[in-house]
Amino acid sequence: MSLEDIEHEERIVAFDWPLWKQILTYAKPYRRALGIMIGCGFGLAAVESGLPYITKLIIDNALGAKETADHWRYCAIYASIFACIPIAVFIFIWFAGRAATGMAYDIRAAAFDKLQTLSFSYYDERPVGWLMARLTSDSQKLASILPWFCLDIAWGVVYISGIMGWMLFLDWQLALWVFTIVPPLAVISVIFQRKLMRSQRETRKINSKLTASFNEGIVGERTTKTLSREADSLAEFQELSSSMRDYSRRNLLQSAVYLPMVMALGSIGVALALWRGGEALGVDVGGAALAVGVSFGTLVAFMQYALQFHIPIQEMAERFTQLQAAQASAERLMQLMTTEPTIVDSEEVLERMRLAEPGAAAIDGGSNRIESIQFENVTFAYKKGETVLSNFDLTVRQGEAIALVGATGSGKSTIANLVARFYEPTGGRILLDGVDYKERSLSWLQSNLGIVLQTPHLFSGTVRENIRYGNLAATDAEIEAAAELVGAHDAIAGLDRGYDTEVGEAGGLLSMGQRQFVALARAVLADPQILIMDEATSSVDTETEQRMQRGVEVVLEGRIAFIIAHRLSTIRNADRILVIDHGRIIEEGNHAHLLAAKGHYYSLYTKQFVREQEEGLLRGRPSGGE
Amino acid sequence: MHRLLRIWNLMAGHRLRYAAAIVSLIIASALLYAIQYIPTVVIDGVLAAEPSTESRVESSVALFGSRDWLRDNLWVFAAVMAGLAVAAGFFTYLRGLLAATATESIVVDLRDRLFSHLLHLPADYHDKAETGDLVQRCTSDVETLRLFLVSQVVEIGRAAFMLAAAFPFMLWIDMRMTLVATCCLPPIVFFCLIFFRRVRDRFKHVDEAEGAMTSAVQENLTGIRVVRAFARQDFEREKFAEKNAVHRDSDFQLYKVLSQFWSISDFLCLAQVSLVTGVGGYWLLAGSLGIGSYYFFLSAVNMFLWPVRMMGRILADLGKATVAIDRVGEILDSPVETDAEVEPASGRFEGAITFDNVTFHHGNQKPVLDEVSFTTKPGETLAILGPSGSGKSTIIHLLLRFYDPDSGTVRIDGRPLSEIGRKQMRRETSVVLQEPFLFSKTIQENIRLGRSGASDGEIVEAASIACVHESISEFEDGYETLVGERGVTLSGGQRQRTALARALLDEPSLMILDDSLSAVDTETEHLILQALRQRHGRHTTIIVAHRLSTLIHADQILVLDHGRVLQRGNHRELVSQDGLYRRIWNIQSAMPDAEPDGSESRAKNGVRR
Repeated sequence: MSLEDIEHEERIVAFDWPLWKQILTYAKPYRRALGIMIGCGFGLAAVESGLPYITKLIIDNALGAKETADHWRYCAIYASIFACIPIAVFIFIWFAGRAATGMAYDIRAAAFDKLQTLSFSYYDERPVGWLMARLTSDSQKLASILPWFCLDIAWGVVYISGIMGWMLFLDWQLALWVFTIVPPLAVISVIFQRKLMRSQRETRKINSKLTASFNEGIVGERTTKTLSREADSLAEFQELSSSMRDYSRRNLLQSAVYLPMVMALGSIGVALALWRGGEALGVDVGGAALAVGVSFGTLVAFMQYALQFHIPIQEMAERFTQLQAAQASAERLMQLMTTEPTIVDSEEVLERMRLAEPGAAAIDGGSNRIESIQFENVTFAYKKGETVLSNFDLTVRQGEAIALVGATGSGKSTIANLVARFYEPTGGRILLDGVDYKERSLSWLQSNLGIVLQTPHLFSGTVRENIRYGNLAATDAEIEAAAELVGAHDAIAGLDRGYDTEVGEAGGLLSMGQRQFVALARAVLADPQILIMDEATSSVDTETEQRMQRGVEVVLEGRIAFIIAHRLSTIRNADRILVIDHGRIIEEGNHAHLLAAKGHYYSLYTKQFVREQEEGLLRGRPSGGE
Repeated sequence: MHRLLRIWNLMAGHRLRYAAAIVSLIIASALLYAIQYIPTVVIDGVLAAEPSTESRVESSVALFGSRDWLRDNLWVFAAVMAGLAVAAGFFTYLRGLLAATATESIVVDLRDRLFSHLLHLPADYHDKAETGDLVQRCTSDVETLRLFLVSQVVEIGRAAFMLAAAFPFMLWIDMRMTLVATCCLPPIVFFCLIFFRRVRDRFKHVDEAEGAMTSAVQENLTGIRVVRAFARQDFEREKFAEKNAVHRDSDFQLYKVLSQFWSISDFLCLAQVSLVTGVGGYWLLAGSLGIGSYYFFLSAVNMFLWPVRMMGRILADLGKATVAIDRVGEILDSPVETDAEVEPASGRFEGAITFDNVTFHHGNQKPVLDEVSFTTKPGETLAILGPSGSGKSTIIHLLLRFYDPDSGTVRIDGRPLSEIGRKQMRRETSVVLQEPFLFSKTIQENIRLGRSGASDGEIVEAASIACVHESISEFEDGYETLVGERGVTLSGGQRQRTALARALLDEPSLMILDDSLSAVDTETEHLILQALRQRHGRHTTIIVAHRLSTLIHADQILVLDHGRVLQRGNHRELVSQDGLYRRIWNIQSAMPDAEPDGSESRAKNGVRR
C-alpha cells in the first residue's frame, strides 16, 4: 500500500454513523462529565431564550402599569438568569476539558498499545510520520471536538426551539413572518459548510505535502548543498507553498462570504419584525397600544429574537463541519485500532501462559532452553508473488554459529527476520526443539533474542542507558562488563563523557561504527539464547572489529548465532557457513571445507582475499606478517 | 515588546491592506449600529403614542418622510435596514478578502524564507537541531501566526474602534445611559490583561508537553525493531504513558485557567448588560428615557461587549503568536553560511588539495583533527583509513566547507578555501556520503540531480558504472520508480550505488567517496572500483574506507587515528612499515585456516540446493 492508496482512505462522502459510534466508545468513561455538560447546555439554552421575554415585561410595565416593585422583580429575574451563564460557562469548559484531555489520553494510549503489537508488515507499508499523526494530531482533534460538538448541538437545538416557542407564544402571526428567514439561513449554511469542508480538505492535503517537503529539506540538507541545488529545491518548494496559499485563501474567502450572509439575514429578520410588528402595532393602537395586538415590549422582544436567530444555526453548522472534517481523522484512527496484528500468540498459547506456574521455566510453561532451531520447508514472500525463500531447510543447534553469505537481496536478512518471528513463514514451519514456534509465546522468544543490525537504532539518552535497554535491571558494572566483553569498553571510555555520553536523536551524535558497538553490547547484555548479527560490525574499524570478534567468539558459546556479513573475515570462524542465492542454500560447510570445495564460497573468498594478497605481493608485501 | 515589533515587521508591505481591512470592518460595524438605530427612530419617532420631540429623533424621521405616511409604510424602514444589512455584509466580506490576501501573501513568503534559510544554515546548526522540532516550527508555528494575522490583527483594530466610535454615538443618544453602559469596561479590560499572562504560560507548558510526547512516539516508532527484539513493549508503554499523562494534565490545567477566565469575564460582561437593562428600564418607567433609546442601548451594549469580551481570546492568540514568532525567528536569526566577499570567476580546479596544520573541534570537545597536513597532486587518488571517530569524515566536511578549521588552512590549487565560494567548491565536487540521501523523486530524477542536462542514456551509463542498473531494471517501473516514503524503499547498498551514479554523472574536479561502498558486497565493489580506476587522472579522488581492497590502488594513503596522521605513503610503502596499516593488512589478508586437506572436506560439501 503506497501513501497514495492511504490517501484514498481519506475520501469520505457521507456522515459515517457507525464510525462515530465506535469513536463514542472512547467517550464512555467520561459520560458523567459529558452528561453534566449537556444538561447544563439544555438548562442554559432554556433560560437564555427567556431573556427577551423579560425585557418585554420590563418595557410593557414601564409604559403601562408603571409598577416599580414589578420592575425590580423583573430585573432580579433578569440578573439571576445572567448569573447562571458564567456558572454554566465555567462548567462547560471544566468538564469539556476533563472529557477532551481524558479522551485524548485514552485514545493515544490505546493506539500506542496497538502499535506495539502490530506486525512489521504493517510498518513496512506506512511511513513513521504517517503513524505519528494518528497519535498526535488525529487523537487531539477528535478528543477536543467531540465534547464541544455534543454541547453545542444540545444547546443549539434547545435554544432555537426556545426562541421559536417564545415567539409563537408572544404572537404567532408575527413569528411566522420572522421564521421566513430560517429556510434561506439553513440552505446557505448547508451549501457553504460543504464548500468549506472541501476546501479545508484540499488545504490539509497540501499541508501534509508541505510538511514532508520541509522534512526532506532538513534531512537532505547536506546532499542539497553538495549538489549545489539550493535554488532548485527552493523553486520546487515554492510551487507547493504557492498552491498552499491559493487553497488556503479560497477557504478563507468562502467563510468570508458565509458569515456576512448569515449576519445580513439576521438583520433582515429584525427588519421584518419591525415592519410587520410595527404595522400590527399601528393598526391596533390608536393611542392605547397595550391592551390588544402587539405591544412595544413584544416588538422589542421580537427584534431581539430575530437578531439572535442566526447564532445557534451558525454555531451548529460550524460544529457539524468540524465533525465532518474530523471524520477522516476518526476513520484513520479506527482503522489503526481495528487492524489485527498478524503475528500474535494463539489462544492456546495465551491459555498456557495463564496456567503456567510463576516459577515455571518459560512464561508459557514450556522449556526455557532453546536447543535447536529448525527451518522445515520454509517458504516466504514479503509481497505476494515475490518469493524470497522457497522450500528452505536448515537445522541449527545450541552452540552453533551460522554465517550467512550471499549477494544483496539473496534472502539472508529474511532468514534472520523469520528467526526473530518479525515475520512468519508463508509456507512450512520453524521449529524450536521440535515445536512449531507459533505454539510458543512470542514475547518469550523475543526476550531470548539479541539482534544487532547494520544501522542499529539507539534511543536518545546516554550510552549507558542504551546498553541497559538490553537488561533493564543491569548494574553499571554489568553494563561495563558487557561492553568489555564485546571489546567496546575502551572505545566507549574514550568518548567525551564515556558511558554518560549523550547519543542524540536516534544515536545521531555517534558515528555508525560507534552505534554498532553500543548495539552489540546492548544485545550481549540481554544474555540472549539466539544472537543475530546482521552486518553488525560493517562500519566498525578493522582493529576494533577484531577485538569485537574475539569478544563475540566468547559470547557465542552456548548460544545459537546467525551472522550476516560482507566482510569474510567476520565469518571465517563460524561453525557453518551457508552461501545463499535467491533464497536457497547453494553451499554449506565450515570455512576450510568450503574453501576446499572450490565452489561459490571459494571464489567469493579468493576474489577478495587472494586479490588483496596478490596485489600486496606485486607491490612488495614483506614476507611474514606480525 | 520586541516580539510585537517582529510581528509588525512581518506585516511589512501589507500593512495598507490590513488598514483597509480594518476600515472595512469599521464601516461594517458602523452600518450595524445604523441598523440598530433605525428601530430606535421608528419606535420613538413614528410608532410611539406620543412621538418624541427631541430634535435628534425628528430630524432622523424627516430623512424618510412625513410621520403619518411612514406609519402606514413601515416597509420603507425594513427595506432600508435590509439594504444596510447587505452593505454591512459586503464590507465584512471585503474585510475578509483583504485580510486573507495579505495574510496568505505574508505566510507564503515566510514559508519560502524559512525553507531557503534552512538550506543555507551551516552544518553545525543542523547537527544540533532536531528535525522534528524544526519541522514543527516551520509548520505549526507558522500556522499559529497565520491564524493570528488573518483574524486577530483586524479584530484588535475593530475592538479599539468599536469602543472609540460607539462612545460618541451613545453619548449623542443619551449621556447617562452611556455611563451605565460602559462602567464595567475598565475592570473587564484589566482582568483580560491579567489573565493574558497566565493563559500564555499555560499554553507554553502544553506545547512543551506535546513536544515531549511527540518525540516519545517518534523514538518508539523509529526504533520499533529494537523494542521488539528486546520484547520491551511494557517498558515503552510505561515511558509513553508518563509523557501522555503529563500532556493530559498540563492540557487540563489550561482548560481550568480558561474556564476561570471565560466565566469571570462573562460575569463582568453580563453584569454590564444587566445594569443597562435594569437601570435603563427604571428610567423608562420614570419616563426619562425613550423606549427607542432603551432599545438602542440594549442592542449596542451587546455589540461592543462582544469584541471586548473577545479581547481575552485576542490576547491569548497574541500570546501564542509571540511564542511562535520567537521560535520561527530563532531559525531566521541564525546566521547562514557566508561566502568570501570576492567570488572569483567559477571554473574547474586543477585539484591540488593541501591541508596545512589543520585543527578542528566540535565545540569545546577534544580535537577531531589535530594538526593534520597533507597534499595531493591534481588527478591523484588519496585514500584515508582509520578507526571510527579518527576524523576521516571531518576531512571531507572541511573540504566541502560544512565546517571551517579552527586553525590551519585548507587550500585547493594553492588558494585558501576561505577565498573560494562555497558554492563553487561544492559545484566542482561530487560527493557520495556515508549515508546517502535520496529525494522523494524517481530514481532517474535522483540520478539526474548530478547534472541537470544529462540525457537518459548518460544516466543509464552512470547507473551501469555504479552497478545499480540491473537492480533498477528489476523494479516494476524501472528508472521511473519513486524513491522514499511515497515509493519503494531501497536497501542501503542500492542507495549507496544510486548516489554513486548521481555523483558519476557529473564531471567534477574533485570526487569524494566517504565510506560510500560499505553496504555493497565485495564483488560489486570490485567492479565499481575497477570502473573508477579508469577515470583515474580525470579528477582528484578522495576515498574513505575500511576495506583495504578499496584503498590499495590509491596513490597516497593516510592512516588517521585520533585526528592525527599516523602514517602516509602508498600501499607498498605502508605495508613495509611497522604500524597500524600493516596490522590491518595482516588482519584482513591473513588466511588462518591453512589450505585444508582436500579429500574429506570435498566429500562432505556437495553443492546443496
